[in-house]
Amino acid sequence: MSDPIVRLQKAQKIYKLGTIEVPALVDIDLDIRSGDFAVVAGPSGSGKTTLLNLIGCVDVATGGKVFVDGNDTGAMTERELTRLRLNRLGFIFQSFNLVAVLDAYQNVEFPLLLQKGIAPSERKDRVNGMLDAVGLGNHGHHRPSELSGGQRQRVAIARALVTRPRIVLADEPTANLDSKTGAQIIELMKELNEKNGTTFIFSTHDHAVMNQAARSIELVDGRIVSDDTVGAAA
Amino acid sequence: MFGTLIRIAWRNLWAHKAKTLVVGIILTMGTILVLLGASLLSTLDTSMSESLIGSIAGHLQVSDANGKDKLVLFPSPVDGTDFGHLDKFKELRSEIEKLPEVEAMIPMGFAFAFVFGGNLLDIKLAEIRKAMVTGLDNLDAKEKRRYTATRDHVKRIVSLLSNDLKNVEAIVNKETADKAMIEGIKDVRIVARDEWWSDFDGSVEKKMEFLENKVARMAIGEDLIPLRYMGTDPHRFAENFSRFEIVEGKMIPKGKRGFLLASWYFEEMVKHKTARRLDKMKDRLADEYTFETDDQLKDMRTKNKRQYKEITYQLDDPAAEQVRKVLQDHLGTKETDLPKLVTSFMDVTEANFAARYKLFYDAIAPHLQLYRIKVGDTITIRGVAKGGYPTSVNVKVYGTFRFKSLEKSAMAGVVNIMDIHSFRELYGHLTADKEAEIKEIRQDSGIDEVNREAAEDALFGGDDADSGVVEKIGEEASAVFDEFAGVDMQAGAADYAKRLENRTYTQDDIDGGIVNNAAIVLTGKEHIWPVKAKIESMAKAKSWPLRVMDWREASGNVGRFIGVIYIVLLVAILGVYGVALFIINNSMVMATMERTREIGTMRAMGAQRRMVLGMFLTESLTLGAVFGAIGSAIGMAIVGYLGSVGIPAVNDILVFLFAGPRLYPALQTWHIAAALALVLLVTTISSLYPAWLAARVQPVEAMSEE
Repeated sequence: MSDPIVRLQKAQKIYKLGTIEVPALVDIDLDIRSGDFAVVAGPSGSGKTTLLNLIGCVDVATGGKVFVDGNDTGAMTERELTRLRLNRLGFIFQSFNLVAVLDAYQNVEFPLLLQKGIAPSERKDRVNGMLDAVGLGNHGHHRPSELSGGQRQRVAIARALVTRPRIVLADEPTANLDSKTGAQIIELMKELNEKNGTTFIFSTHDHAVMNQAARSIELVDGRIVSDDTVGAAA
Repeated sequence: MFGTLIRIAWRNLWAHKAKTLVVGIILTMGTILVLLGASLLSTLDTSMSESLIGSIAGHLQVSDANGKDKLVLFPSPVDGTDFGHLDKFKELRSEIEKLPEVEAMIPMGFAFAFVFGGNLLDIKLAEIRKAMVTGLDNLDAKEKRRYTATRDHVKRIVSLLSNDLKNVEAIVNKETADKAMIEGIKDVRIVARDEWWSDFDGSVEKKMEFLENKVARMAIGEDLIPLRYMGTDPHRFAENFSRFEIVEGKMIPKGKRGFLLASWYFEEMVKHKTARRLDKMKDRLADEYTFETDDQLKDMRTKNKRQYKEITYQLDDPAAEQVRKVLQDHLGTKETDLPKLVTSFMDVTEANFAARYKLFYDAIAPHLQLYRIKVGDTITIRGVAKGGYPTSVNVKVYGTFRFKSLEKSAMAGVVNIMDIHSFRELYGHLTADKEAEIKEIRQDSGIDEVNREAAEDALFGGDDADSGVVEKIGEEASAVFDEFAGVDMQAGAADYAKRLENRTYTQDDIDGGIVNNAAIVLTGKEHIWPVKAKIESMAKAKSWPLRVMDWREASGNVGRFIGVIYIVLLVAILGVYGVALFIINNSMVMATMERTREIGTMRAMGAQRRMVLGMFLTESLTLGAVFGAIGSAIGMAIVGYLGSVGIPAVNDILVFLFAGPRLYPALQTWHIAAALALVLLVTTISSLYPAWLAARVQPVEAMSEE
């Protein structure tokens, strides 16, 4: 068995509001293996987003260690973390977060442009391939405002996956969608997970979504209270 | 990546059309302003330098470093004019002209004086004197008619003068007024009475004495013509100042004394006022102004109607009769009153102007003293020497001159040219050998027998002055006059003047004396700074007390004019771009706030800070480039238009600064480059802060929900 792609060791995150310390995550020990399709569940304020932020390298732990794809994120510079996000991670947001002034094709292309050094022809193939894969092959020239919520989230998924990341993080990806569309999105993510072996970690408090996951991690008050497929965590 | 940044920038600008348009209009205005300003300033700088370098200043001016005041070629009333002098001009010239870039070094000196333009009364009295020499009884019939006309003319002039003085009398305070003035008015009134003239021919000697001594002085006022002149080496001046050209008469012969009137000055100050106004009206009508709409035309017409005396005063009876007839015929009236006829003749319209203008010059002008000084006259110039004592020289007017394309400029036309020797005499710059030379000439002419001290002793009794015996002084004075009479003083003085006029000076004479300052003409404008430095170091090495100035500095306020325009323009540009800076900065800070999540998302996806920075800078640069290009295009069109029709010089100073009646602004590549660079700089600066703010947005912002 390979090393876990994500490992948290006694990771903690404490927010300071003036003199009051608010613990968001407390002593989290968690391993996620490559190819996992894991859901982080829990009520509002339980620390789901914070956990995803730590794994996604957009936030740093105030204690303990977080390893992402073998890198100790606590020891990395801002610039190195950015590069790690660019090359190893993909993000799907609750509100889709597409660049409003770019069309679907350009939104998907954007991270490839950030990566540099990818030949235009390959870039084109990969963008079109991703748009086909999310079922939007004919919508490349539509602006986000011309797309439905589900379509936008598909664009976001294509954008997250076009760089061929090791891990895709999705924070409540279905929260702004109706249940039917939400189910389709989860279905799509699962399909991509199975096809490419990309690790998916997403947060939700939707039970229907949780049931789709191969692994379910439940947080309450910043602590893991259950992990239904117990991994290598110490 | 850059393509995408441009695309993002472009679309963001497009998405906020109203804001972009407001900012865009301001940036466009700024660009137009810069482009227009740069083109105008550089064209103006060229034209101004042409005017100044080609007329008086030359490329460089050297003057006395120890002079009380700094040399100013076009002094304003507050500028001091004690520029000091260069006393080794010859040596300076030979050293400085050794520099290969130096074409010539021309001596100069500026001063102000008065010249007596023949007083009409004086002229008429002189005519009577001439008749008296022949003897009134010996005149033939024609001479007799002439004499009678002249005498009656004098009578009429005095009567008109008396009327004028009535007005003066009405406003002067009898108790505080000058006694001589009150006396003079009384004298004029005596002569204005018909009885005074009843036995004029019988006691002509006594009457003439009274007229000449008591009355003539009351009519003197308007005959003093103020004169600014430049003493120089006329020949070398004409050779080296490319714009110089003779208009009337001829150049002062090489090495001779002489005077050249500036053509503009000649027309404006010396010409008969009514005639001058008619000339100006003709020009203005030719420029398609109308009496209906143009105040200047209306004003000139009113003046010509009101100041009919300028004509009637100068006409003796036979001439008045002729003019009356001509005017009656032309106007088709039986009116006999000459003032009324002249007034209605001067009431011109667009339709009749050409005919009346022609008639004026054909039938009226020949009876008038059209110019108070004529080419060929010898004029007496009275000035004040450096030491403060009054001086005067007689000098022949050889001709009039102008500077090409500056014909209508008062600034270029107000300085007259005089030979350097007369200048030195007027200015009190007499060197030892010049005094010796004059002494020699005087001796030859026989007028040096009475030297000044001897004459003063004789007149004022020398040691006996205290005795206060007036009669004795009178006796001795008449003895002196007798002595003068014995050597025929008048003939001697005339001979002296003639000899001075005919004397030819060598280049050594010209260069050997003192000059006030000197112009240096170079082979090209580009040598100005290097040659200035060379001369300065030369002066330092030889300890010459020299001040070297470029044409701009030497010309004083005129040279600073361009600086003023520059500052006005700069303030305008700063204003426009200040507003642009403020608005762009504000709107982009707002945009940063609005786009926090988008920026966070990009950062989360792996965009580095500098990419975000670049995105915002690209946006502002796009803004600058687009509106800079629009502004440049509009600016180019405007400059192109102005360059083809020209900006008219609406006043004399502008004619001079424009080096002609119109300025044709031209565009150079660097003007466009400067305009674009500036607009890009402004937009970049205004986006620095918002871009910095944007780059500080954390990737975690992408996760926050609104």
